[in-house]
Amino acid sequence: MMRPIGIKQITGRSPLPESVMERIKLIQYADANHVLGQMASVVNAGAEDRLGEVFRNALLRAEHDHRMLQFEMNRLEHALTKSDIEPIVLKGGAYVALRKKAGNGRRVSDLDILVDEDQLVEVETLLKEAGWETEETTDNPYDQSYYREHMHELPPLRHRKRGTIIDIHHRLLPRTARYNVDVNAMRKMAVPLEGVRLKTFNDVDLFIHSAVHAFGDGSFDAPARSLVELSMLYEELSEEDQKHLPQRASDVGAAIPVSVALWAIGCFFSIKNALTQGHHLMKFRRHYILRWAIKSKTLTGRLSTLAKAFLYIRSHYLRMPLYLLIPHLTRKAFAWRPLSKKPVELPFP
Amino acid sequence: MTSSLNIFSKEEIRKALKDGSFTLHLGPFSHLLSGRGDALLDFLIDTYRDNRVEMSPSDVTDVQLSLEAPNVLRRFFRPQVTPNPGFEVPAMPLPLSMSALAHEMGLNLSVALKCCRFVNVHAGVVADDEGAIVMSAASGAGKSTLTAALLQYGYRLFSDEFALIGLDGPILHPYPRPISLKQETIPVVREMVGDNWISEVVKGSPKGDIAYYRARKRDLARDQEPAKAKLILFPNFEKGVQPIAHQLNPAEAIMRLVPASTNYSLLGEPAFRAITGLVENTRAYEISYGSTTDSLRLVEQITGKKML
Repeated sequence: MMRPIGIKQITGRSPLPESVMERIKLIQYADANHVLGQMASVVNAGAEDRLGEVFRNALLRAEHDHRMLQFEMNRLEHALTKSDIEPIVLKGGAYVALRKKAGNGRRVSDLDILVDEDQLVEVETLLKEAGWETEETTDNPYDQSYYREHMHELPPLRHRKRGTIIDIHHRLLPRTARYNVDVNAMRKMAVPLEGVRLKTFNDVDLFIHSAVHAFGDGSFDAPARSLVELSMLYEELSEEDQKHLPQRASDVGAAIPVSVALWAIGCFFSIKNALTQGHHLMKFRRHYILRWAIKSKTLTGRLSTLAKAFLYIRSHYLRMPLYLLIPHLTRKAFAWRPLSKKPVELPFP
Repeated sequence: MTSSLNIFSKEEIRKALKDGSFTLHLGPFSHLLSGRGDALLDFLIDTYRDNRVEMSPSDVTDVQLSLEAPNVLRRFFRPQVTPNPGFEVPAMPLPLSMSALAHEMGLNLSVALKCCRFVNVHAGVVADDEGAIVMSAASGAGKSTLTAALLQYGYRLFSDEFALIGLDGPILHPYPRPISLKQETIPVVREMVGDNWISEVVKGSPKGDIAYYRARKRDLARDQEPAKAKLILFPNFEKGVQPIAHQLNPAEAIMRLVPASTNYSLLGEPAFRAITGLVENTRAYEISYGSTTDSLRLVEQITGKKML
């Protein structure tokens, strides 16, 4: 079980634990939750001691991801030169490209982009011409049509030679989702990235999307990472942007996830302003099970399995109505799955 | 404070392993280990007897390796063990009696895939006062036997598994873990070094019979002394073949070392610089031979240093 202070220590808001075993456990937790690189970029360690070496190691791994990301963005731009489409880079890709604090040391495994729904066919065609192809796990008629009919993104594409994945979104939540976030309003305010034909959301909308991703859709699958990123994005908002955030969240229909996010970072990182803002935006005092589940899953407490189950069910409840959900989950539960690809070949005994 | 493992009692070590606070210091890395069972305990006490350890870590560690049962059932019923280095690995569960293999595999995976402060190249490395010999080859090409043999002729052990090349300059760093011996190489090395130095044989593992040749105290004592490379070899053992050495140009040597690295693409440019730097002022040979004596003769010819 991780103590709440651990999350603060990862972001440098509290000094590291004195006990060596506690320190090691914190590093293991950060590594397993993919925030060791972000921790390494904000927590000071002497360059000479062992902690400095552990951090340096984590940053080297993130540097690789960032090189990959930069190259993939370049290839994407290249693939779309024939069109006038300017995709919006989402999530980690945006944080890294904008040199946000949340992007420093962040692991990135794929590129997420957002385009207009009318542009989907064109983007998919151009990317396929440039070497991307349907990713093997979703290369079956059911998944293909399921993604296209109900989801907020196309089935993932993998590049034939480089093996990298690109997710093409046309909205932020599934078509069938209970909340309807006004992605067009967000797209209108998108800002161009310097020197390339790609865009990102503006700072306020970056926070909103991160909140929607963590609490409006998924089952809060990377709890520590979501919280760390939300806190860093919030912290980097200008005073004016912070003030403007609740209004913007209501305008684009993301009041609920944003209020949960504000409560969560307020509570985990003792950011008073976030707590107050979250409370004003939505009085969700009654949502005590949700709040308990978020805490429990993040801290991997004794009942975290129960918390995970609750968040899993909630995520599906939010994603689609029961008449679609039940047949889908039934099919997934009984679906025949081919055995996974052969394991990585390693050059040792 | 670190001390030699052999000053601790079996019960102290057992408890530290159970609590997950057992710390092994070797070369540039520190390793936190947890595990259970006599097979692991006996292996560590025998094969790692002269290594520097702590029963409780004095600082954070580079590697955290837990040897655990793949599921609750396998803790009790026909118990199994699987290495967990903290990230997903393609490791298959082994019977608990093969804990030695799980331990060595787990450490190799941790270093190969997680540690990137060095360029890791799959190779045996030994050194004398003139510099290090790097021997890169696929499994079964005779790398371990040649490494073990050179140790008998004035060389010290850097590693049987990894050439660790520094990112700040093409310097090799020692990491003298036990040398892993497979199948028919076990009796060959046993005859060379004596029974005392070879661990109990892990029989019938997925990789056949495996045994470990313990690192010597004097090699462990110098595990903080890096060295420049003086020679790069690509050994190729084949029964009945005429001994022959064939010099490679630098580009050929680089093209063979790159795919033998476990973190080349992860590190990118610094890895390229490290490997080219290593090759730049070093001769490289492919050597083919049918016996250990032949291989040593070839090394003698190339280095001009009398051994036999």
